[in-house]
Amino acid sequence: MWGHVSLRGSGATKQSPPLLAIEDGRLLRYTRNDIIRSLPIDKTDSILYNVAQFVLFRSGHPKEETMAETTTQRHLNKAYDCVVIGAGNGGLSAAAQLAAKGARVLLLEQHSLPGGFATSFVRGRFEFEAALHAFCDIGSPTFKGAVRTFLEDELGIYLDWVEIPEAYRLILTDPGEDLDVTMPYGVHDFITAIEKAAPGSRESVTNYVNLCKEVLEAITYIGQSKGHPNRSVLTKQYANFLKTCPYTMDQVADALKIPERARKILHAQWTYLGPPTSRLNFTVYGAMFYLFLITSAYIPRQRSHEFALALDARIRELGGHVEYNTRVEKVLARNGRVVGVATSKGDQIETGHVISNASPTLVYNHLVSPKTEVPEIALRQCNARVNGVSSVVVYLGLDATLEELGLHEYSYFVYANMNTDEMYETCKTLDAPKIQAVLCLNNALPDCSPPGTSIVSITTLYRPEVWKNVAPQDYVRVKNKVASDLIAHFEQATGAPIREHIEEFEVATPQTFARYTGSYNGIIYGYEPEPWDSLMPRMMMMQDDKHLDGLEFCGGFGFRCHGYSSSVKSGQTIALITWRDMLALSEANVMEKGEVQQ
Amino acid sequence: MKVNVKGHIRDLLAFRGLVPRRKKRIAKSSAEPVGLDPMNKLAQQLHPDSQHLVIAEIRDETKTTRTFKLVADPDFDARGLAYFRAGQVLSLKVEANSVRITRPYSISSAPFEALGVDGFYEITVRKEPDGFLTPYMWDHWKVGTKIRSSGPCGFFYYEPMRDASQIVGLAGGSGITPFRSLAREIVHGDLDAALLLLYGSSDEDDIVFYDEFKELEQKAPGRIQVVHVLSCAEVSLEGCEQGFITADTIRKYADVDNSSFFVCGPQAMYEFVEKELAKFDLPSRRIRREVCGEVKDITQSPGFPREVADQTFRLQVHIGGLTTEVPARATETVLVAMERANLAPPSQCRSGECGFCRSLLTHGEVYIRPESDGRRAADKRFGYIHPCSSYPTTDLEVTVPRDV
Repeated sequence: MWGHVSLRGSGATKQSPPLLAIEDGRLLRYTRNDIIRSLPIDKTDSILYNVAQFVLFRSGHPKEETMAETTTQRHLNKAYDCVVIGAGNGGLSAAAQLAAKGARVLLLEQHSLPGGFATSFVRGRFEFEAALHAFCDIGSPTFKGAVRTFLEDELGIYLDWVEIPEAYRLILTDPGEDLDVTMPYGVHDFITAIEKAAPGSRESVTNYVNLCKEVLEAITYIGQSKGHPNRSVLTKQYANFLKTCPYTMDQVADALKIPERARKILHAQWTYLGPPTSRLNFTVYGAMFYLFLITSAYIPRQRSHEFALALDARIRELGGHVEYNTRVEKVLARNGRVVGVATSKGDQIETGHVISNASPTLVYNHLVSPKTEVPEIALRQCNARVNGVSSVVVYLGLDATLEELGLHEYSYFVYANMNTDEMYETCKTLDAPKIQAVLCLNNALPDCSPPGTSIVSITTLYRPEVWKNVAPQDYVRVKNKVASDLIAHFEQATGAPIREHIEEFEVATPQTFARYTGSYNGIIYGYEPEPWDSLMPRMMMMQDDKHLDGLEFCGGFGFRCHGYSSSVKSGQTIALITWRDMLALSEANVMEKGEVQQ
Repeated sequence: MKVNVKGHIRDLLAFRGLVPRRKKRIAKSSAEPVGLDPMNKLAQQLHPDSQHLVIAEIRDETKTTRTFKLVADPDFDARGLAYFRAGQVLSLKVEANSVRITRPYSISSAPFEALGVDGFYEITVRKEPDGFLTPYMWDHWKVGTKIRSSGPCGFFYYEPMRDASQIVGLAGGSGITPFRSLAREIVHGDLDAALLLLYGSSDEDDIVFYDEFKELEQKAPGRIQVVHVLSCAEVSLEGCEQGFITADTIRKYADVDNSSFFVCGPQAMYEFVEKELAKFDLPSRRIRREVCGEVKDITQSPGFPREVADQTFRLQVHIGGLTTEVPARATETVLVAMERANLAPPSQCRSGECGFCRSLLTHGEVYIRPESDGRRAADKRFGYIHPCSSYPTTDLEVTVPRDV
């Protein structure tokens, strides 16, 4: 009944004139005898609109037209229920959850590997962990955290998780500072250790820990209520949670009268979230802190890459499709709704749902097409939020054991001091870094490098802007100077002579993170969780934050804020929300069709 | 326990104010779009996915060795050439005899020469009479020929944070090329290091860059020193060693305990030099090796199942939306089999190291030489291979990413 219309597309070449046709309510494109792509035509739209859009799809990729026929045939030409942009922790989790529900899901990743930051790399006889220090919310097999529950019970993924030996060792190095303390996991042990290091703090720290417990329980309750908590339950059972939500870590520590020395120890993990304690929302820190205490922390035996590959494998087992080296260049929208994506490989994929592991900043500024589909409020929101920090990581393969070097802990925080405002300011210069989080991998995984060797990695934070004037020819010199400063600081703090044992040496900078993940400015975290834009306000505004129907965000820039476990959990939640939307949409379609038939 | 931050009522009001406050902050923010960020820009400058180059000059260095000078192709919106580190390679993406392949070549020019509008790279290639690409290059590559390449890549470079500042280069044949880059960089003053080069050639005629290195030695006395080691029976050139690069020769010229050794040359030379270097019992970190590309005769590799050597297997390939079946010889890598079938799979180092060709093996078995197995631990467990260093020993099924 649609008749047969054919015309030449504007991207026609001599070798393979593209032929467009409309049959059975679908728009088809032929190359020689093969239909290479088809699009359904919405009957309420004019044919011309569809054709124009189709040609528009093609004209965005003139370079593909000249490629060999075998290359053309490789386009992904199926329709999917959902396309997930980016195979970071959030994207992998979202795709796996959707595939487990039975959705037809396509996961597209611009790099050749899954994981995003959650990866590893090989240099010589060493395999370095790229990013992971401590995976939160895993828990033991008998006291499972949310992430382990998701992986094992929802997805059937069992990894070789290794518990890391202690929470952290904190060393402050400024003259006059005298703090060098190793903190254990476990509520009781932690409080006992902090009382020993900061006598007289037991009571206030106990209150702090109890408050963090309430925060975590409240968040769990809100999650279980699927975003519709009972008001009176909240005000009765979780009043302290509500009342601390609007405040920073410093404000809450003041309210609880935490003594100065104890506060330094309690706040040591601020660099895991980024902003200084005068701006970092208490809720996210408190929840993370308490989760670490009760479930401790784990890493996969074969590094983050094992985690990423396990999810990748499971997605494919569940019928999902994962495609690497494929950058999403456009999120196609029409009338306020997502209708498809276009990729760097010339794929035009029809879909009603996109979950993006890439940040809203990237998606609204660069991907949504046409630009007229980007609501002004979305751009305002991107600009209102505070972009997080990036980092420099120095990866060292050493030809000495940690024992020989006198490094007995897995995780070190070495800071000049705990004035986190001052420390954060130093992240805006290329002077010698004053903060570092150091990982001695063999202390958790004794066999992670050959006998007689060890792996140490040193991370510091940067405001990425400080790297913008580094010219390509100065890049190695600048990053090596930073690396050298970091090594010197660590040697000063621990007395371990690591410089003379360097067998493999690699440095990742904001540029490196941008290169491998495409992250805006190489940011390794998401938007900074200041009180106004932290977990709770984000959750309460999830509806308001939807600017295009069918478009959702997960991962470090998602509603749960950043970190491995938060990214995983946001991926899972967003997938469930998308699944619910899909069902609602298909129900609506069925009803609509029913009406038409009547 | 009851916690008050600013007082019970004020705290509750502050909670209720969270959403209005956030809405207000968003509403009063700018709606100005943001452009490409500086770090992604820098990433594109340093590590472009590919570069469009054009041959600007061709020089014969010896009767079998040729230097191609490559500049940015002005037909593309070129930001100029990507900077690199002396010792890195360009993996050329070229079509020869209608087959698209990649070939890594060390950049023989210095990093500073790549900078600016007149920036260039040079690659210096020895013609392999039985090779696939080099005879084609000699016949077809002219000034003006357009070439695509990867960004500069590879890990065979001097790293001051790791290496001794006295470098001892052990080079054979066309393995001289990364050292030419390094020497030019040192002479130019961009690297605070000294290079002693022991350079093995089979004949006086085969020495590449003889005159140029003499010049470089004069420009930077004490910082560049070259010793030619010639394996031919008669040596007329002054100051040459006759024979091979043995431990004795090395000891004669080098401060063995205070140097970093960099080895680059043909496969046979590695095998020889490895044994000589072993005599010094140096710490691992003191020896850096350039990866040597595909192995000449894989059947000679210990552990290779010789009983399948004559066989050709069926290789099923999933690449993007395409599934196809191609033949794969036991003595050729999975990568070569795919290239022969013109599937243009991604690859870069062709030595098992970089992982650019990493693919999922869902069916069948491959042989991988342990020295060329650069895979991550989890990759091995989950069935990933690097096709450039994997040889089929049964029928195979692989899922390959499309090239970037």
